Amino acid sequence: MGVRRREFAAAYLFLAPFLLTLGIFFLFATARAVYFSFTNYDLFNAPTWVGLRNYDELFRDDMFLTALRNSLVFAAVVTTVQTFGALVMASVLNQRIRGLGFFRAAFYMPSVTSSVVITLIFLWMYQRRGLFNYLTTQFLANLPLLAVFLLAVVALQAGQVLYERARRLPARWTDPALLVVSLLLAAGITWGLVFSGIVSPRDVRPVEFVWLQTRQEVPAVFPGFLRAPVPLVAIMLQNVFTTIPTFMLMFLAALQDVPAAHYEAAALDGATPVQQFFYITIPAVQPVTFLVVTLGLIGTLQMFDQVAIFGNAVPLKSVITLAYFIYNRMFPGAQLPEVGFASAAAMFLAALTLVIVLLQRLFIRSEGTR
Amino acid sequence: MSVVPIRREAPAKVALERWEARRRWARAGIVYVVMLLFSLLFLGPLLFAALSSLKNDPLEYPPRIAIPQLSPANWAAAARLGRAGAHAPLWGGFGPGADVPFELTYFVPDGTEPAPPAVTVPRRRPGGELAAAQNIEYAADHAAVVPPTEIGRRAGTRSVRGKAVPGVFVSYRLRVRYRGDGPTVDRLPIDVQAPSRRQAFVGSTLPPTRLERLGLVASYDNIAPGVLGYVFTNYRRVFQQARSVTTGRSLFLSWTASSFVIAIAKVLSTLLFASMAGYALARLRFPGRNLIFVLVLFAQMIPVQVIFISNYLVLKGGIFGLSRLWGQATLLNSLSGVVLSGLVGAGAVFIMKQFFETIPREIEEAAMIDGTNQWQRYWRVVLPMARPALGALTILTFQGAWNDFFWPLVVLTTPEDIKTLPIGLLTFRNVYGATGDWGLILSGAVMSALPIIVLFVVFQRYFLEGVSYGGTKE
Repeated sequence: MGVRRREFAAAYLFLAPFLLTLGIFFLFATARAVYFSFTNYDLFNAPTWVGLRNYDELFRDDMFLTALRNSLVFAAVVTTVQTFGALVMASVLNQRIRGLGFFRAAFYMPSVTSSVVITLIFLWMYQRRGLFNYLTTQFLANLPLLAVFLLAVVALQAGQVLYERARRLPARWTDPALLVVSLLLAAGITWGLVFSGIVSPRDVRPVEFVWLQTRQEVPAVFPGFLRAPVPLVAIMLQNVFTTIPTFMLMFLAALQDVPAAHYEAAALDGATPVQQFFYITIPAVQPVTFLVVTLGLIGTLQMFDQVAIFGNAVPLKSVITLAYFIYNRMFPGAQLPEVGFASAAAMFLAALTLVIVLLQRLFIRSEGTR
Repeated sequence: MSVVPIRREAPAKVALERWEARRRWARAGIVYVVMLLFSLLFLGPLLFAALSSLKNDPLEYPPRIAIPQLSPANWAAAARLGRAGAHAPLWGGFGPGADVPFELTYFVPDGTEPAPPAVTVPRRRPGGELAAAQNIEYAADHAAVVPPTEIGRRAGTRSVRGKAVPGVFVSYRLRVRYRGDGPTVDRLPIDVQAPSRRQAFVGSTLPPTRLERLGLVASYDNIAPGVLGYVFTNYRRVFQQARSVTTGRSLFLSWTASSFVIAIAKVLSTLLFASMAGYALARLRFPGRNLIFVLVLFAQMIPVQVIFISNYLVLKGGIFGLSRLWGQATLLNSLSGVVLSGLVGAGAVFIMKQFFETIPREIEEAAMIDGTNQWQRYWRVVLPMARPALGALTILTFQGAWNDFFWPLVVLTTPEDIKTLPIGLLTFRNVYGATGDWGLILSGAVMSALPIIVLFVVFQRYFLEGVSYGGTKE
């Protein structure tokens, strides 16, 4: 009994700093937020109980509904794109080559730096005469060259494959050795045509697409509630850019455990790379997919930093998210803080996150056991 | 392809093997090229921002990659001018005894008589409201300009709107001297105005910061910059221009210090407390253990937006008045507030618990026979074995604290000095973004990312292990 009691005391001494932090800054805080959400607390007057009124008012608040829509669209699009993008990238990179460490480090760099730094850089590139519009201009101007190049690649590749097949060599349409030759020759041909003046870049006016100060929503063909404001799309691009590498590394770790024999066997049976992707890769990494989708949903539903940094460069209504809405009601600048209302919104955000994560869990489970 | 008529014999085995080898090589080549393209895609924005942060105007259009700040000829000129200005080839300046020579070249079409340009030393205030508190010395108060004299001309042609125009290239040299005695001034700006638009500016010892009034005025922010002062103009401005209204100290330095203090304190407290708690949860048997473990999982799921409201009030009251013990009435706007509210996170405890469960019990049992107590077994036996996990935890915590934005934004609002780098950069963005001074914002952003990038390059292994710990969370 003495030993037992000693172990008991030791355990709680070891746990004391953690339990204090946990107790004050998590449990007490959560409990108090629940309580506040049922009151009209405003930091200055003592809170009085108002029952469910805050929750009721949430759904009458225009800004809240906008924030909810933005958050849901953002989470859905970003989670889908980043999961799929990371998986595709990981399967492309799933090669046992020298120097993989360097490339892994390079891809991971955007995830290492803070969201503030990356967001500032993107904000700069989104300026009216920024890098994005410049690259778009260049792309449009050089479209003829690109078209010539692609045509040349296709023609050369087709010619080579047919020739090799005539020699009874097993050439596939995407044969890498022939593709290298096609690419190099096509580049040479394009250069020659440009040099001789037969093909030249078009004269286009500099693109001045407005990424930030705009109320435009895309894509225009969608019904209103499915569209996303352009500034929100700008944040989506930035977010995907930052998160894809992290998730790609998770997928890559899982993929390296898949025996190469599976792919070889599938290739022998005549499965195309696309078929291999859908029938080997996706099932093999299913647990990681689950993790990536969960982390992605939690991260995107609680997106805050980008909204705060874009700040007055964009109309608040087009980028406001639930997290920013809560912050904004808690610290509204000159007005009285609406602590009770903000707490109710925070409760809603927590419940929403939980429900969506549980829903996707059910969904992915059933997909996996199909 | 059944269409292709089969005329030849099947290729020899050797030919097939050579064909396969060729294919493997080509595949490797393509893989490397694709990897390089991906690297370019992901590093591109960072590298391009770092490069553009050297430019006078990072929003120049079209954006160039070959910029004057990267030309060795300009470095040499900048060093020479810095030495002439204040015997400082690195950082330049304008001090007593200075005699700065500067040359400009104009093109004048035939039929126009070239004339020397007019030179003034302007009193330009460094921009932005964060510079308002400074007491600035102006070069204009100490400078005496020796008017430009012609030093040479040669006939030539210059293409104007696609046409070759005959004329002369004429060069002038001016000097700026320091009058009498006085303080050394950081910068020596000059404006050089051509007599007419027909006399077109061609070049000068250092390229002008900007050409104003349709090319009539070549404006230089500093003609005695020194080589580092020339290349890293914006970086120097980050430190010099943004100053605290109250103390006059460099804001960026204060922010960096805040960030380091918070990150290091959090790393130390997390290492100690998370390993202690993780050890207890993994090794000791006691009532309430399962409940605590459930709480650990629960705490990880709560969004920060739920808890920040109460935590803000708790810090405002100095953790129930506790902070009065060391004389702080409130923990808002104090670094200790940020640290104390984040001493140890549930995720860190979880990682340590998982790790300690992989260490065999026998090692501790051997130590128990030697008669050590619980603390000694933890401190002397188990903790030294946990080095890999502690390494990953250090990196994860440092990165989290260094990059944290939301919580410092809530706690640290005034004065500007107290802020951390991420929220300080938000101040930069609000102040300088309005005037379009992206050189300053980008330099600040690049510098704030440097420590974490250096850490990443050195301890890459631990970072990538951190990703795999994220993978074990599930």
